[in-house]
Amino acid sequence: MRLTMKLSSLSLTLLVMACLPRLSHAAELKLTSSTQYLWYQDYISDKTQNDVAQYLRLNVTRLDKEGKASVFAYGRASQQVTSDEGLQGRLYYLYFSYRDAFNDHLDLRLGRTYVHSAAVAGTIDGLFLDLKNLGPLGVTGYGGREVLFLNKAEVGGGNVMSGASVYLDAPKSTHLEVSYGNKYRNSDLARENIGLDYSTTPFDIFNTYGRVKYDTIGDHFNELLFGAKLVPIADLSLKVEYYQSRPTFDNNSIYTIFNVDKYREVSAGAEYAFTSNYRLSLKYAKEFFGEGAEANVYDLGLIARPVKNLSIGGSYEKRDGFSGRLSGFRLNAGYDIEKAKIQAGIDYDDFTRQDSRGDTAKKYWTGADYQFNKLIGLTARVEWDVNYRDSDSWQGFTAVNINY
Amino acid sequence: MLNKKIFPIILLCTVLIVALAGMSNAKTDHKEYKNSTLNDCKDCHNGAAIVGNHGGTREHRLLAERAGANCTDCHQQSFCLDCHNGGNVEASKNKSLSRAGETMPTTHRSDFISIHAIKAKDDPQNCYRCHESRFCSDCHAKSNRGAMQVKNHTAVGNTQRYFITLDPSPANLAAHAADARRNLQSCEGCHPDAQACSRCHVLTPGAPIRR
Repeated sequence: MRLTMKLSSLSLTLLVMACLPRLSHAAELKLTSSTQYLWYQDYISDKTQNDVAQYLRLNVTRLDKEGKASVFAYGRASQQVTSDEGLQGRLYYLYFSYRDAFNDHLDLRLGRTYVHSAAVAGTIDGLFLDLKNLGPLGVTGYGGREVLFLNKAEVGGGNVMSGASVYLDAPKSTHLEVSYGNKYRNSDLARENIGLDYSTTPFDIFNTYGRVKYDTIGDHFNELLFGAKLVPIADLSLKVEYYQSRPTFDNNSIYTIFNVDKYREVSAGAEYAFTSNYRLSLKYAKEFFGEGAEANVYDLGLIARPVKNLSIGGSYEKRDGFSGRLSGFRLNAGYDIEKAKIQAGIDYDDFTRQDSRGDTAKKYWTGADYQFNKLIGLTARVEWDVNYRDSDSWQGFTAVNINY
Repeated sequence: MLNKKIFPIILLCTVLIVALAGMSNAKTDHKEYKNSTLNDCKDCHNGAAIVGNHGGTREHRLLAERAGANCTDCHQQSFCLDCHNGGNVEASKNKSLSRAGETMPTTHRSDFISIHAIKAKDDPQNCYRCHESRFCSDCHAKSNRGAMQVKNHTAVGNTQRYFITLDPSPANLAAHAADARRNLQSCEGCHPDAQACSRCHVLTPGAPIRR
């Protein structure tokens, strides 16, 4: 009943927003709709499931004379037709936006919106403010109810999230930001983080970036990231990165009393563009899980556009060490023919899990778009899977897309 | 709850920001480049500031989460949510479907259920950026529990002695402790209140864990 009410209010709101252009002298409406039929293998219920889903995205802009006020909305309703599961919905966002208020000094978003900082990030029902252009400085602040999605619907998280940041945009593409964020669950402080982000390009050929995220409740760093990029010659870029993360639990979780190991990773990579149509990338990562457990991951990738309208992508990954061995490749190709776009691909993985099984997993897929006119298009995808759970499994979707 | 050790760090950073505040840098509006290809981007970004596809997995997160990010010059929020929250309004034909019928980001290669036990270890925190821990227990706590355990709990016969026997071998004890320390969030997925742990351990916040 509650869900039905939510969906009704969503529909009503979207309808009202669709009417806004008529009420406002210069408002512009952009609507994207996708009506989809999906079929897929649910191995828990051990049967093919079928869903019908309706996506709707609305942008209503130029609500005022200056073009600063807008409303943005995006949601989905879905119904599984092969079970008695009811209609489900997700409202991804629905917010009023006002930009460049007070002589370009304030951006505001009110409603359901994604908010971000190094300290905490997520979707909230609340308010986001960006006080900007204070010289090179800016200040953001946000607060509201955290929105969580699970199993095609929204679930009650009970969290209230808030945060603020102070940032500096300086020359040499330098960005420096200090942020603070917290989450309250049932009026108890569940998470509290401080974050520091930086990125700078002191020379055109060199850039360095990083993030430090500190958990003040657990009194430890829960994320560290430091990276550097170098472009020694045109079309060649080199990159090294150090990353560290640590599990974090809510303050009221019993799991906070246990010791945990950090995950650490050191990686190096290179990317080279032979021409604008051929690009090769290489990457190696050494992973450390604590107590002597380690893994090596090697990646090789190629993107090519040998002839007009044809694109080919391929990658190979090899992994060995803690938790298992993996060796696999992916290939895909796409070709554009006037109003149609065709794409196909193969994924192949040979794997051995450390604690259970080894096998291969293969996926063969193809898909196509056809644009009838500026307004209406059709998309379809079919996929054939062969793996240890199923030797002959099919799934995919078809979609009718409207862009107005 | 702010830690006293951290306060000087914030203060120092704030001072640093203010010290640098004399310099200014107007950000370029990228709206007019919205329909450009990545190759076109290199006409201006031919150095190390932005290379390739917005910097790869971790760097793109920094770019997207920074204050004043200009992602919205070219992308709507749906662009992010269609990977991070299973949306598909653009009807992307190169994305596969999960067992629940949600579109998955293309990082979920081949049959992801087959290889997720390995891939989830490449930064264990990464899964939790999009999934709640309840997402794991949706399968692991429902189906045939013996076969679906995140970690084999039945190292000795089929008795769950690995964890709960009162007289385990030192090797088993050491193995379970190491596994738990490396992967504690996966334990929480099926045992949110840690009752399984309290069969052997005395769990008192602030006190050492005793067996």
